[in-house]
Amino acid sequence: MTDIPDRQTSGLGFVGQRVKRVEDERFLIGEGQFVADLNPKGVLHAAFLRSPFAHATLNSIDVSTAAALPGVARVFTAAELNAVTNSFPPLFMIEGLYTPLYKCMSEDKVRHIGDPVALVLAESRYIAEDALELIEVEYHELQATGTIDQALAPGREQLWDRADGNILGDISADFGDVATIFADADRVITRTFNCPRQTNQPMETRGSVVIVDPATGHLEIHNTSQAPHFLKWAVAGLLVNDGAFRNLSRFARNKDRRKAFSAAAKAFVSTNKQKLLEQDPAGQKSQMKKDMSFLRAQARMAMGLLASNDYPTVKAGDIGGAFGSKGSVSREDIALAAAARQLGTSVQWIEDRVENLLDGGQAREERFTVSLAVDNDGTLKGMKVDAVLDGGAYASFPVSAAVTVLLWKLYMPGPYDFKAFELNAKIVATNKGKVVPYRGPWANETWMRERMLDVVAKELDISAADIRLKNVIREENMPAAFLTGPTLDETMSVAKTLDRALEMVDFDQLEQDKAAAEARGHRLGLGISSYHEAAPGPPNFFSSAQPGSDMFLHEDGRAEIQADGRIVMYTSQSPHGQSHQTTYKQVAADEFGVAMEDIEIVWGDTDRTQFSFLGTGASRGGPLGAGVMRMTARELRNQVVKVAADMLEAAKEDIEIVNGNIHVVGVPTRGTTYADVAAKVASDQAVSTGPVFKEEMKYEGVGNGGWSVATHIAWVDIDLETGQVEIPRYLVVEDCGPIINPGIVDGQVRGGVAQGIGAVFYERHHYDDNANLLSTTYMDYLIPTAMEIPKIEIEHMETLTKGENDARGVGEGGMIGAPAALTNAVSDALGVDVLEQHLPPYRLLELAGIISS
Amino acid sequence: MSLPSATTPAGETLAINVTVNGTLLSLNVEPRHSLADVIREDISLTGTHLGCEHGVCGACTILLDGEPSRACLMLGVQADGADVVTIEGLANNDGTMHPVQQAMYEAMSFQCAFCTPGFLMSTIALLRDNPSPSEVEIREGLSGNLCRCTGYQSIVDGVETAIRLIASNSAGIDPVGEPT
Ligand code: FES
Ligand code: FES
Repeated sequence: MTDIPDRQTSGLGFVGQRVKRVEDERFLIGEGQFVADLNPKGVLHAAFLRSPFAHATLNSIDVSTAAALPGVARVFTAAELNAVTNSFPPLFMIEGLYTPLYKCMSEDKVRHIGDPVALVLAESRYIAEDALELIEVEYHELQATGTIDQALAPGREQLWDRADGNILGDISADFGDVATIFADADRVITRTFNCPRQTNQPMETRGSVVIVDPATGHLEIHNTSQAPHFLKWAVAGLLVNDGAFRNLSRFARNKDRRKAFSAAAKAFVSTNKQKLLEQDPAGQKSQMKKDMSFLRAQARMAMGLLASNDYPTVKAGDIGGAFGSKGSVSREDIALAAAARQLGTSVQWIEDRVENLLDGGQAREERFTVSLAVDNDGTLKGMKVDAVLDGGAYASFPVSAAVTVLLWKLYMPGPYDFKAFELNAKIVATNKGKVVPYRGPWANETWMRERMLDVVAKELDISAADIRLKNVIREENMPAAFLTGPTLDETMSVAKTLDRALEMVDFDQLEQDKAAAEARGHRLGLGISSYHEAAPGPPNFFSSAQPGSDMFLHEDGRAEIQADGRIVMYTSQSPHGQSHQTTYKQVAADEFGVAMEDIEIVWGDTDRTQFSFLGTGASRGGPLGAGVMRMTARELRNQVVKVAADMLEAAKEDIEIVNGNIHVVGVPTRGTTYADVAAKVASDQAVSTGPVFKEEMKYEGVGNGGWSVATHIAWVDIDLETGQVEIPRYLVVEDCGPIINPGIVDGQVRGGVAQGIGAVFYERHHYDDNANLLSTTYMDYLIPTAMEIPKIEIEHMETLTKGENDARGVGEGGMIGAPAALTNAVSDALGVDVLEQHLPPYRLLELAGIISS
Repeated sequence: MSLPSATTPAGETLAINVTVNGTLLSLNVEPRHSLADVIREDISLTGTHLGCEHGVCGACTILLDGEPSRACLMLGVQADGADVVTIEGLANNDGTMHPVQQAMYEAMSFQCAFCTPGFLMSTIALLRDNPSPSEVEIREGLSGNLCRCTGYQSIVDGVETAIRLIASNSAGIDPVGEPT
């Protein structure tokens, strides 16, 4: 692509070093800019009235007393806001799935505790909450569905009239000759695994500040969004535009806008021609069979987009964590923007923790009945899985629970050489908060598969290590098309991490430690789990899940050099703890041959950055985000070198840049600088402001690797008297390619493992059978503290791939591997099959036979 | 003083005097406003964060007369006459970071940093009371603060780095938060 040698692997520069975080220069002195910190003068504060019932119809609502309270600017009922907004249409349609449409507020029926029915805007949050108390709502309570069993049972009250009972999706896939493989295997072993509900729980809740320009009505939305561009389009498309037809005809008459639009459409179609052709209409047909109205909703959204002359600007500043929960467009985001537009006044909603627990994003309540066809020597042959996913009440937008099922379809056989695989997955509706992606949204496939491997090993009387070693796909058999479609590449092999991890365990010592634990009235066990993760995946990964879907996955980048020589890089990522600023400066500084402080990174502002469907998510920040920064910087550097070569009367091949000094190799004293080159170009072009050099790029990640791989090994010590757990050792051997910044990668791995530890031993988002949420505070939803999370030992493999950007994603892996390693360790310690993911002390004592269940 | 009922609208305020980060302020605050809201809104010091507003996460921790306190669980009027230190008050007068801030920087302790103000305050109090805590004591000392991003190891590393930094400064920990 370029004639400049890759500095990435040269051992020079910032990449690969534990460079301190530039973000911390603000954060540590209290100068972060989180959404709640904006609090603009005169803003109205929002509070939502939320349903106290899990399932009910609304008979009446009276907001008059509330609206009369001094300090209250306006109370909107659901009906009022729904009238000026469009339905959320399904975006990912899959064969066998029906996605119910819904509005930003609930006016006829509420479907979970916390469902919003009215919105108060007042001078202060205190007054807004006072007003909530004065709203009179008459509900008629309906039978609620609180469990997967209830959702599967016929004849119950339905959440959605057009669904089959409460089943929304019935999705199947198979690979290989399942019937023959199962018939020929020595035996078939079956178990059912359950995982209860969890919630992402970033320390910062959701929030949105909508600033209205009094002169133009333009909305500037400051939001905790992982995907600001998607939010911008969603708001533009979901707010009903009063003058839509007038605007549409204006649009039709405006030659420039028409031209720009058709150019953009043409560009999109030509870039994605192949992918558009690949698109499978089966998903649309499934949706149409149940409900045609999405066509109207999509059309209205499209018309909203065409007819509006002015899309909002979305700005995401500092974000206090998300773990997937802030990638969706919240119903509250739309309600708030609609309210701001109606009132012509700036408004803000800072979610409180109770609201966040009610509906800030929930995940992983799933059940799997898995059958493995195996031979007596431990050879794994086939896998059949019946899965049910509890999707809650409303589908999150745009990435719904259905995407988890698509990913299960690709991942479930994991890094093992199965010959056949069949998945039947149901998505059910229950009266609970919405399901969002949570750090490795598909991760329970790893949990149940790795747990099942231990079950099988025990039945066949072989070790947990041996069954994995025997079946893991090894480099010598790659590259290979994985059973479910995507390509596996030898440069990133799970087998290597498994071998290395096992080397790091002293199994003789383990036996002694187990005996010592027993002597103390404890039990000690060891658990292994291995997985591969598409981060970002080989080029055919997403199209294997859903043909054509990879067209959403470009990552664009832009780089500029200003007239004064400043280098500015624009990313479409929306960082929320991953330290993008630091790592992208490292990458770009190395390419430009300058110091990190010479690079400015711009993110989060839709007026300044390029479109991205996903923003930050799916472990893309390293491989794609940093990848496009690197490529863009490299191209821009080439532009500068060309000019500098002329200025220095040298060949561009002879130019090097060291510490910002652009010079002929070996002649640093006769150098020039970015500022000089920029000044020269500016004076030639008579440009005084704006960039003098500019480069824009699209990037999909190149090369056929794209896998992050790891093996986790956990040691768990259980006190049989109290059920208390200790984790004396936790080992992660991971390979995410060459590391940009080990301090940051270690943090990602540890943070993920900590959430896995939380899920297994502490956290349960507990709804009762009537779908009442019992864990509405941090006294009930237990997030582990520094006392519960041990030191986590990390071994990096750093294999180079064949791509242009070797870095692989690492954000999700910790959470993917941990639940399996931990529950396997518990099973080993107690000598029982562990069939559930959540194991608080009382449950451990039950499993140990100390107390009865 | 009688607190207004839950539905009493805004308007009524009480005068308090409070020292914040070394500056004595006279404020008129609404009696029902939490200390956290007074700090964040009335004084515009937004470095103190609100993660749960029910006393568990510790993000709102400040030093009140030197003691780490949850600003979300107190009313602003209760701080009348008190000395408050927030994250903004930690840096030295010359603008350089407090040794605990410096140490957390070196250790790359945080990610999203929403929890950071609370951890800094708790660490300062911990090290003032026990200048050389063991790892277990550090973990115990920080167990009133939740961090969802880091798995805590980097924060523990930060505290250990702070111990070394402070010891090498020999002057000991800055007595931030002590009444002046
Ligand atoms: S905000 Fe005060 S403890 Fe969480
Ligand atoms: S760094 Fe994100 S909560 Fe601690």
